[in-house]
Amino acid sequence: MIRVERLVKDYPMAGGTVRALHDVSFEIPTGSLAAIMGQSGSGKTTLLNLLAGLDGPTSGRYWLNGRDVSGFGVVDWSRERNRTIGFVFQAFNLLPTLSALGNVELPLVYRRVPPRQRRERAQAVLEAMGLAHRAHHRPTELSGGQQQRVAIARALVGDPPLLLADEPTGNLDAETGDEILNLLAALNGQGRTIVIVTHSPEVAARCRMVLQMRDGRLLPTAGGVGA
Amino acid sequence: MTWADSLRTAWAGMWSSKLRALLTMLGVIIGVAAVITLVAIGNGASQAVASRIETLGTNVLFVTPGPGTPFTTRQVAYIRDNTPVARVVVPLLNSGGQLSVGTSTLSALVVGTTPGYQALGAIHLAAGRFLAPADLALNRDAVVLGANVSQALFGGGNPVGAHVSLLGQRFTVVGVLQPVGQGPGTSQDNSVFIPLPVAQFLLSTQKLSAVLVGASSPLAASQAQDLLTNLYTNRFGSASSVTVASEDQVLATLSATRATFTNLLAGTALISLVVGGIGIMNIMLVSVTERTREIGVRRAVGAVPEDVVLQFLLEAMVLSLTGGALGVGAGLVMVRLAPVFLKTPAVFTPSAVVLAFVFSTLVGLVFGLYPAVKASRLHPIDALRHSG
Repeated sequence: MIRVERLVKDYPMAGGTVRALHDVSFEIPTGSLAAIMGQSGSGKTTLLNLLAGLDGPTSGRYWLNGRDVSGFGVVDWSRERNRTIGFVFQAFNLLPTLSALGNVELPLVYRRVPPRQRRERAQAVLEAMGLAHRAHHRPTELSGGQQQRVAIARALVGDPPLLLADEPTGNLDAETGDEILNLLAALNGQGRTIVIVTHSPEVAARCRMVLQMRDGRLLPTAGGVGA
Repeated sequence: MTWADSLRTAWAGMWSSKLRALLTMLGVIIGVAAVITLVAIGNGASQAVASRIETLGTNVLFVTPGPGTPFTTRQVAYIRDNTPVARVVVPLLNSGGQLSVGTSTLSALVVGTTPGYQALGAIHLAAGRFLAPADLALNRDAVVLGANVSQALFGGGNPVGAHVSLLGQRFTVVGVLQPVGQGPGTSQDNSVFIPLPVAQFLLSTQKLSAVLVGASSPLAASQAQDLLTNLYTNRFGSASSVTVASEDQVLATLSATRATFTNLLAGTALISLVVGGIGIMNIMLVSVTERTREIGVRRAVGAVPEDVVLQFLLEAMVLSLTGGALGVGAGLVMVRLAPVFLKTPAVFTPSAVVLAFVFSTLVGLVFGLYPAVKASRLHPIDALRHSG
């Protein structure tokens, strides 16, 4: 699903560049439940941004879903994210002016799905998340766990093969966080590739594959390529 | 994202913060309302000028002596003899004068003339009669009052048969004219008409202020104008010793001045529209900053930069066009109210609405573009990381 080779990312800073990623290479097979683990500053978020095409690498190559996406531009990546990648954020990132349903619809809006169809599809996904009764509520009227499930519904609505989750339990209490992890595990059980970025060993322990980052490098330890 | 979706998003965005949207639009609302109202007032003034032309008709020529030109009652016969196309030739002697009835006094334009004046077609009697041939033949002290004069001295009552004091003489009111309306200068409403020989006697002069020449058609008037101009230029050796011009020519100059005035008003109003546009740009820039995270989320789920441009540009357009529509509404109300509160005529023109809409569209486009492009250039990562 994901293969990267010698990925390097430099950031220009006052007084020279800072290398956030050093020659990172790995492969995450389709159907994996993988964790990218590391302390803050380890380069895990930088890596996630590169995997999502939100930022471009300084050098290195990247194959996503069997295609070489190394040379993708801004518009290519927008399309790719829309079709191939579902996003789950730590802070949920739901749009406050839209209802749960409106938020879930969003990827389909940019895919130009006609309103009636996308509404039906969004409603179905919300139902699957057990939130059918909350479809017309604003995010502020929902609990943290509910908001994250709406966000997961938004990530799933376009049926992407890959789910990228950035600290998906970071803003939730332990119990709710567990529910979300169970949900992600269940989605992985349905064949979806899921990559979770986390600093928490408990979360990483739930994953069958753990990529450990430190100081912008991948450590060849702690489980390594399991599965 | 389709246009319909962008439009829906833009509308929802505006609706979710109604007060702010209203305040943002206020500049455009005021600008558009001002354009419509001021253009209407300008048109109203121009039409008042036009209606004044109607009072004497476009076929009437004014033959006016320059300073020092001997111009007496004999000119009436001279003009009549030399201008076969003239339908009526009427002498005028104008003077200011005080009228008094009992203790109330009033200054008015005193016009000494002949019964022929009525044949120019500008006289509409409210009561009584106009000057008659017998008034002139017998040097009767008869007077016909303009509507305002009658109103001021006699209120709503019928003054026919009453006496007024004018130029030290006691006159009998024989008729009252209907009101003409507004217009520049002293109109017929503020005039009183007395027999020419009486006026010449009381003012101790044989001179005339002007001779009016009524023709039966604009072509005849034009022919008469050429003829008389030649005649008087030859007779006095100078084109400026006697002026021959139709009233509409005199008033055309006035209209041009009015038009300049109207354009100036409209220009001022358009400036306020531009100021309104700057207000929209300001709020859109604030909005882009506030919604940085939203932009990041939209980019993350697949929005291309053009989608973001379209969204914010349409939002600015929705603001300016809604403002424009509200401004048109406010303008229409003001056009209705202007005659009541400002005592000026206001004539609504659809073209002002078109002008206002075109400009508010342009304002939305021009001032919405920069914030929209700025939004689309935000880096998605920075946008997602943005707090708030």
